[in-house]
Amino acid sequence: MIRKLPQWELTLVVLTLAAGAWSAYLSPYYLSLDQIAYSTRQFVFPGILAIGLAVVVILGEIDISLASTLAFGAVLFSKFSAFGAPIWIATPLVTAACAALGTLNGVLVARFGLPSLAVTLGTMGAFRGLAFILGSETGYTGFDDSYLYVGSEQAFGLVPVSFILFLVIALAVSVLMRRTVFGRRCYAIGLNKEASWAAGIDVARIKVMAYALAGALAGVAALVWIGQYGSARGDNADGAILFVVTAVVLGGLDINGGRGAILGVVLALFLLGTMRNGMGLANVAGPIQTIVLGGLLIVGVLRPILFQGAVRGYRFAFSRQAVASN
Amino acid sequence: MLTEGGEAPTDGEARTALGQFALRFRVSGVAAFLLLLGVAFTLLRPQFIAPGNLSAIISNAAILAIVAAAQAVVLITRNLDVSVGSIMGFSAYLTADFAARHPHVGPALVLMPLTIGGALGALNGVLVAYGRVSPLIATLGTMSVYRGLTYVYARGQEITASRLPAWMNALPEVRIAGVRLLVVIAIIVVCLLAAFLRFYPLGRRMYAVGSNVSASAFFGLRTQRVVLFAYILGAVLCGLAGFLYAVRVGTVTVVLASGWELTSLAAAVIGGVSVAGGSGNVIGAALGAVVLATIDNGLVLLGIPEFWRMFIQGAAIVLAATADMIIAGQVRNALRARRRIARAAP
Amino acid sequence: MTPTDRVPVLRIASITKTFGAVNALSDVSFSVARGEVHALVGENGAGKSTLVKIVTGVLEPSSGHIELDGEPTGFGTPVDARRAGVAAVYQDPKLFPHLDVAENISMGATPVTALGVVDRKAVVARARESLARIGVAIDPHALIAELSVAELQFVEIARALVADLKLLILDEPTSSLTPAEAEKLFRIVRDLRDHGTAILFITHRLEELTLIADTVTILRDGRHVATRPAAEMSRTEIVRMMVGRPLEGMFAGRAKRTPGQEVLRVEGLTREGAFSNVSFALRAGEIVGMAGLVGSGRSEIAQACFGLSPPTAGRIAIDGVPVTPRSPKQMLALGLAYLPEDRDGLGLIMSAPIVDNVTLPILDRLAKLGFIDEAAGRTIASEAVETYHVRTTGIDQLVSDLSGGNRQKVAFARWLSTRPKVLILDEPTHGVDIGSKAQIHGIIAQLADEGLAVLVISSDLPEVLGVSDRILVIAEGELVAEMDAGSVDQETVMMAATRNTRDSAHAH
Repeated sequence: MIRKLPQWELTLVVLTLAAGAWSAYLSPYYLSLDQIAYSTRQFVFPGILAIGLAVVVILGEIDISLASTLAFGAVLFSKFSAFGAPIWIATPLVTAACAALGTLNGVLVARFGLPSLAVTLGTMGAFRGLAFILGSETGYTGFDDSYLYVGSEQAFGLVPVSFILFLVIALAVSVLMRRTVFGRRCYAIGLNKEASWAAGIDVARIKVMAYALAGALAGVAALVWIGQYGSARGDNADGAILFVVTAVVLGGLDINGGRGAILGVVLALFLLGTMRNGMGLANVAGPIQTIVLGGLLIVGVLRPILFQGAVRGYRFAFSRQAVASN
Repeated sequence: MLTEGGEAPTDGEARTALGQFALRFRVSGVAAFLLLLGVAFTLLRPQFIAPGNLSAIISNAAILAIVAAAQAVVLITRNLDVSVGSIMGFSAYLTADFAARHPHVGPALVLMPLTIGGALGALNGVLVAYGRVSPLIATLGTMSVYRGLTYVYARGQEITASRLPAWMNALPEVRIAGVRLLVVIAIIVVCLLAAFLRFYPLGRRMYAVGSNVSASAFFGLRTQRVVLFAYILGAVLCGLAGFLYAVRVGTVTVVLASGWELTSLAAAVIGGVSVAGGSGNVIGAALGAVVLATIDNGLVLLGIPEFWRMFIQGAAIVLAATADMIIAGQVRNALRARRRIARAAP
Repeated sequence: MTPTDRVPVLRIASITKTFGAVNALSDVSFSVARGEVHALVGENGAGKSTLVKIVTGVLEPSSGHIELDGEPTGFGTPVDARRAGVAAVYQDPKLFPHLDVAENISMGATPVTALGVVDRKAVVARARESLARIGVAIDPHALIAELSVAELQFVEIARALVADLKLLILDEPTSSLTPAEAEKLFRIVRDLRDHGTAILFITHRLEELTLIADTVTILRDGRHVATRPAAEMSRTEIVRMMVGRPLEGMFAGRAKRTPGQEVLRVEGLTREGAFSNVSFALRAGEIVGMAGLVGSGRSEIAQACFGLSPPTAGRIAIDGVPVTPRSPKQMLALGLAYLPEDRDGLGLIMSAPIVDNVTLPILDRLAKLGFIDEAAGRTIASEAVETYHVRTTGIDQLVSDLSGGNRQKVAFARWLSTRPKVLILDEPTHGVDIGSKAQIHGIIAQLADEGLAVLVISSDLPEVLGVSDRILVIAEGELVAEMDAGSVDQETVMMAATRNTRDSAHAH
């Protein structure tokens, strides 16, 4: 079936190169290192969210509340900053708080058996509400410089710190998913929940852990956010979830779970970042970028069908899959 | 000799009173909740019960009620449409633009948003039913495509009320027997839709498909076509809602109704429409819209910051999902095979 | 009671159905006459359900055809079959739980008024009529999700009563009914028969044959054995025809051993609605067979021991230590492994490679600080492939690409990798080719010789007799007999498994 993942990842690389070449052709400024470095910023915070979401999607669930968790994290950072807490204390505490929100999602989904879409739809509103309640409507801009470092500075005067952080996280999660017991169990659960339970895996516990991890990463993304934008407010990253889900799906992850790799998500993020940047340089209007994004998302999910060609001789009627439903 | 345990007449867990109650009275539960909410707000702020305030709530809820009903239609077939806001925006903008250029076209113009909505819904439906794309992903994609197309068409322009024909601007103030036309339309649409789903074979098939896809196919229901139709029907209603919203706010911008996908889902889920399909009805979804409008209104009266609404709305969705889970347990029991299915061959 | 018409309602003419290399049905022919209750019996896997699916158009036969009223027919779908007057009540309910009884009964052929509106009155009236016709009092307005298992079946039968019903197929309709409910069902069936409907009645309960059947057709291993008037056949005779298979030679060579320590003790194990008060013990180095009909509660007992679906009462002890099974994780850690009957759905992850499947339950053991030692895992998988003779291109091959027998060997390897003390095998050779079957039997014997306590659940009587030291017989959720495998024959076991509970209930 879809044992073509490396092939898909290769396709993503080729598409990224093509998009880069096209951008360079359109704008001579494109190939400057500054520009490339700057362009990475475009996708670092949604990228970190996407990596967290990828873990949840590999389990066969979804979390659309991550952008709201980010907003909560950003507001919490502002509280710590206002209080004068040093960043090395604030960061672990905010991350832990965001992980707690993720855990709440996980418990509702895994322990209570609620549908993850409904749960995270609800907590998407609830967490953002929480962010507003915690902060204020006016937002906070008085961050201490130490809080802004990760999201705004460049290491060695060239590579944004946030980009390095993103790569480290991507690598770590990739290793986590490929090499560890936890990762292997996530894939097994995504492929067949019941068989995994029968093989002695505590499915609920792994799910809660995955949601907690996604929440924690949203906390880290919040750190990048405040550095990049210098402000924290309840509506931070509102609407970012589309980009995040697009990256995950385009990265070759099966939305039904069990298939795909973090590497694919990273490559998809590079592609999306390159395209956004290129289109920006070429003065392609933002709305067209949105159309392209949506189109890519649909192509991403139609991919298996496009690859296989028309599905022939499929007796829809008596297949046990609820075709129209999932 | 024969013990009860060997052959219990009914599965002990199969008949939980709670599950049955939840399944049957889910919608009444919404009405009860609404009443409770009303009583609570009235006790806290007596002006809540003033006729003027109540009518304001209903007016605010009217358009959302239509969209929530549209969302419910799709949810009932065990699918989802997060592009409703974009469909509203797209059809509203194109219609308003057309009206601004051709002011002589009368109320027949209403057909335009309906047609546009239907076309957009058809694309969603084809992707989901025939392309077998996950409904969330498919409509998340078309959500941005439709919104993007609106931007492209608009080129950053907005259509102000002054460019719209007079009859459109007058529409929101039209009252029939003292009730705003908008509200009348919403009530008629929701009732017609409820009647359609309740009394027409196609409506019943939507429930059947959402309730048990494989059995539907067994009874010759063309499940793919039913799903496609649900998307089209929902989107036609979104087209109408978009038009009404444009008329109501007067100035049509490209971001019109963005975010409504979530609000409509919230209203439908709170109104007892299950995301697991087959359960709930459009009246409930419309009531869900009224619940949201009531919460909004009450929070304003109580002087509670507006953003508490998000929190309460979100919590309400999770609560509603919990009620649905209890129902789902009941439903699973009814579908359990009498014994493990004998397999014909490997 | 004898058919008046010459032309049978249904004639099955040389039907053969193959799935890949397996013959599910080979050259089956028989006829069902008007006004006849025709029972179809056979062991699990004899091909009964496949035949039903072919008659109702769910499956297409590989060769042969069916005739309805003398006309060759081939239904493309169950809808065509219903239109032609053939309806079936399947084992998995084809009902819409969110809709009410009346709607379910007229689904697919809903009456409408001139306005195109569902004629609700007609729908309810039809439901009332159908339900009245079978003499059950179910409120047409009740939701399906509110009904009991028996009521669900009556609704399905009521729905099958289309205007000109020629043939009604009931696939194990009594398997989850109480004697009283079953009696009611028989009354309905007799009534339909007396009105000229032909009924094809599939059952595992042989005592029902004398109560209801006019004619009995016996299938064995996908072949037609006999079709005869029910009155002419004794239960013993039917049992012999159902199981009449020569013992396979390889069972013979097993030497008698003395079993060791008791490793598993089950006492008074009960789960409401599935089984009750089951007690037995397993000793190291012993192979115990568990015989019984499908649906008698065998798998449920095993699953309760493994923590898949925890028991409601009773206790089990492993190595003398009492434990309440709650999850497979817990039981695996205690040294009890269970190879599920639903191998493809529950026993393996089909879309994952062999290596991942084999190592899944032992990831913890393979890991250092959470990181998996890939090389060690691959070694274990390679050794397992070698030990159990899995025919594969390599351990990275997907399990779904393997044949049934080889999949089963991978499943074996997986559970044995956990180094259990007790191994419960649920239908270990179901859907497995002859060659692999012999190898699996060899593996079972070898494991016991190495000191494992093995419980083998099987519907294949020669297998149970041949492979086990001791046999437990389960009927209707109870342990009804314990026998020494050396001294019993297939008929004795089958008689115990099909014990006449209804008689004993009456005698009560």
